[in-house]
Amino acid sequence: MHPSDASLFQFLFIPLLIQPNRSTMEDKRLFLLDGHALVYRAHFAFITRPLINSKGLNTSAITGFVRTLWDLMVHQKPTHIAVAFDPKGGTFRHEYYPQYKANRDAQPEDITIAMKYIPQIVEAFNIPAVMVTNYEADDVIGTLAKQAEKEGYTVYMVTPDKDYAQLVSPNIYMYKPGRQGNEVEILGEKEILANWDIERVDQVIDVLGLQGDSVDNIPGIPGIGPKTAVALLKEYGTVENIIANAENLKGKQKENVIHFADQALLSKRLATIDTHSPIQFDATRFNLDPMNKEKLKEIFLELEFRTLAQQILGSDAGPVASANQAGIQQSLFGDENPVSVPSNQETPKADYQIAKKNIDNISHNYHLVESDSDIKANRNAKSAKNHQL
Amino acid sequence: MLSQQKTISFDTETTGIDAHQAELVGLSFSVTPGEAYYMPVSADQDQARTTVARFKGILENPEISKIGQNIKYDMAMMKWYGVELAGHLYDTMITHYLCEPDLRHKLDYLTESYLDYKMVPIEDLIGRGGKNQLTMRDVALEKVKEYACEDADLTLQMVPVLKKMMHENELDDLYIKIEEPLIRVLCDLEYEGIRISGDFLNEYSKELDKIILEKEQEIYRNAGVKFNISSPRQVGEVLFDRLKVPYRWKKTSSGQYSTDFDKLTELAGEHIVIDTILEYRKFSKLKSTYVDALPTMINPRTGRVHSNFNQARAATGRLSSENPNLQNIPIKDEAGREIRKAFIPRDDDHVILAADYSQIELRIIAEISNDQSMLDAFIAGNDFHKATAAKVYSVAYDDVTSEQRRNAKTVNFSITYGAGATNLSRQLKISRKEATELIKSYFREFSGLKNYMDETVKQAREFGYVKTLLGRRRNLRDINSRNSLTASNAERVAINTPIQGTAADMIKIAMIDIHQTIKEKQLRSRMVLQVHDELVFDVYKPELETLKSIIQDKMKNAIPNLKVPILVEIGVGNNWLEAH
Repeated sequence: MHPSDASLFQFLFIPLLIQPNRSTMEDKRLFLLDGHALVYRAHFAFITRPLINSKGLNTSAITGFVRTLWDLMVHQKPTHIAVAFDPKGGTFRHEYYPQYKANRDAQPEDITIAMKYIPQIVEAFNIPAVMVTNYEADDVIGTLAKQAEKEGYTVYMVTPDKDYAQLVSPNIYMYKPGRQGNEVEILGEKEILANWDIERVDQVIDVLGLQGDSVDNIPGIPGIGPKTAVALLKEYGTVENIIANAENLKGKQKENVIHFADQALLSKRLATIDTHSPIQFDATRFNLDPMNKEKLKEIFLELEFRTLAQQILGSDAGPVASANQAGIQQSLFGDENPVSVPSNQETPKADYQIAKKNIDNISHNYHLVESDSDIKANRNAKSAKNHQL
Repeated sequence: MLSQQKTISFDTETTGIDAHQAELVGLSFSVTPGEAYYMPVSADQDQARTTVARFKGILENPEISKIGQNIKYDMAMMKWYGVELAGHLYDTMITHYLCEPDLRHKLDYLTESYLDYKMVPIEDLIGRGGKNQLTMRDVALEKVKEYACEDADLTLQMVPVLKKMMHENELDDLYIKIEEPLIRVLCDLEYEGIRISGDFLNEYSKELDKIILEKEQEIYRNAGVKFNISSPRQVGEVLFDRLKVPYRWKKTSSGQYSTDFDKLTELAGEHIVIDTILEYRKFSKLKSTYVDALPTMINPRTGRVHSNFNQARAATGRLSSENPNLQNIPIKDEAGREIRKAFIPRDDDHVILAADYSQIELRIIAEISNDQSMLDAFIAGNDFHKATAAKVYSVAYDDVTSEQRRNAKTVNFSITYGAGATNLSRQLKISRKEATELIKSYFREFSGLKNYMDETVKQAREFGYVKTLLGRRRNLRDINSRNSLTASNAERVAINTPIQGTAADMIKIAMIDIHQTIKEKQLRSRMVLQVHDELVFDVYKPELETLKSIIQDKMKNAIPNLKVPILVEIGVGNNWLEAH
């Protein structure tokens, strides 16, 4: 972390000014973002009307990602945060099932380009990016979520991916970003159980094991879709128990369960998020620090993010003050004005502007013409000038 | 000084965004980059006219070209002050739209993107929208001067950039032949406006109130409970908890049942109350969005409604309209169609005439694909959908069943929008296999169309863009994507844009020609609306037959020498519904 001078100033200054409120200090809210999944989602959210800048770059994915990130920083006030990315190359799942995700279409070029910017942006926000060789982002997030939960954190897994449902607990939530006017969805145990129509959250992997998942090329058992899977689980509880009781089933279903038993177990294993991947939750590292405005400005300028630049760099909302102060701002100023903090470091507005030139720095000759004599005078001056030319 | 120029950039400052209600605050001019002049005009309207009149010579001089950003607005503004803007029009918004139809075209976006220049935002002068927003009239003169001059100056500075882009994309012809003359046509059409019957709408509003109340009572009766039907939460609870209608979807974030249109439509029939709720919502929406909203759009100066036609919005090249948005007025539903009764002639000496291109997109498909089978069907003049069904199902024309015709019609309308088997099976409620079979035999019968579609995609891949018959263009940056979803989206646009765009070109040319003829013959009738493939006129009764033949001729022959026959249906009546 290299906090800029300005934020360092705040870091030193604000805590002296403000008497922290005990309860907000203890509020530990960790947000773990699934980088690739969010980028994909953002890209396709704008697919019918992509955002293209003047250089021809499709910025849909980056815009969507930054909006989601900023929105949760302002409204959810995380105290701790990290973004997980999938590593290049295969993962441990490919070792025992080479076909895993083998049916995936090529990544859209615009996403490939977006993925060059996303880590830079995350870094400029001073948010740690985590990536573990051989493990997918969901394994990393799962591992961190379970560790942090033990340390007393409330954890939000920020992702559109339904598979995360298996990790939800009383302290771990799924946070599905809003899309096209829909609100953000925060799903806890109650919602997951109702949505999936299951009794225990870990049955999510049994459902996936039975029905498979074409997106990840997980086969499941032929002929078993979501409804049948749920019905069978209501009766037998787990994939293993369904297999053990295959004799009680009937007809084609019985045949399939017996014949594809190994495939079902394999599918369940593939769908299971590994919560013991080699990474350690580190409260200091994941603490939400002030962003690096200079660096962000540079990137936003390049991408031509006018509105976002003004929103994020121009405002003092959210994590301008470091995360620990997010709660403090509220206790200090009350509810009328929860996000504005008196700014000791306000940078002039022009600094965030995408274009370098404007009326103040470009010489111009703008005249006020108010009367007939003005018009005549101008006409004369003009024709004299024309003659000279 | 201005009268010696060949070209001037020109902008108006006014008190509002509706040119037909706003007052002029000032005029700005620029002829040299970095230099501009601002002339404030008095709030006293007589004095304002006198000031404006001093510029009449320049503004009405046909030898002086006018540069403007959305110049139609300034033209309408001047019209209200007795000045008819003449000369060539170079509109920076429209030229950029022609070069990059999928991007934005506001002046501040253009200057930031192409000139590295950030303009003074209007909010710096009049504040953000809402009750406390000022008008230009309230702002200090010095500030307005800087703002207005900057507008005229930067518009002027955009011209060389756009000229280069227009030239490189071979769009000069399209601009000169269609978009430029269309600016004047639309300005006149908007200025004219159309009379709306407030009485009819008031009556209809009361009638709808009654219907809505009846539906409400019916819902309470059938649900066995009183509740707030406008509350989605309460509707959800009544349907799914109380009445035990099976709920098959995820709940919303706040844990509520979702009761949106799609879900209720799918459930229609499962409980009588659902159908009634859908009707209740339909009538409520109709009332609030149109029946009660339209009278508020009547211009107090003219007593008419002046829709604003946007020439630079739809990427296909079609026009769009707002205040009111005419495209949105329901046509399929009977109660919605009634709204058209509110659009009436100016007085008893006039009638409404509506002229509609019949099946224009299909005819254009036949034309540009050169599919002999399709062309033959149109030339024979038979019912095209029935003829399609006869071919696709290999039955005699007279033996086509209504279901076969319906299926053929759906395929006809969806195939060039890229609908595949899945989509078609859903629309027609047939199996995917049947749908695949249907598409296969469709393309077997219309192999020319299939060739056209393949060829268009191939060319789009090679060049990165597609064009209409008249050179309107659309860039397709994703056409060569390795991601099949991304590429197939671009392919759909590639196939569809030339068809939509050519239909747009065609009606635009017809508008220009009709407008021209009305002027030449000094007729009193006026073109008043354009929506979808339809033109609406307010016709002076003695001119009716003359108008009919002009419209038939100009619409049919907008693009001459086509192989496919173009059919125009004309209707006349005492309101738009009767005429349609």
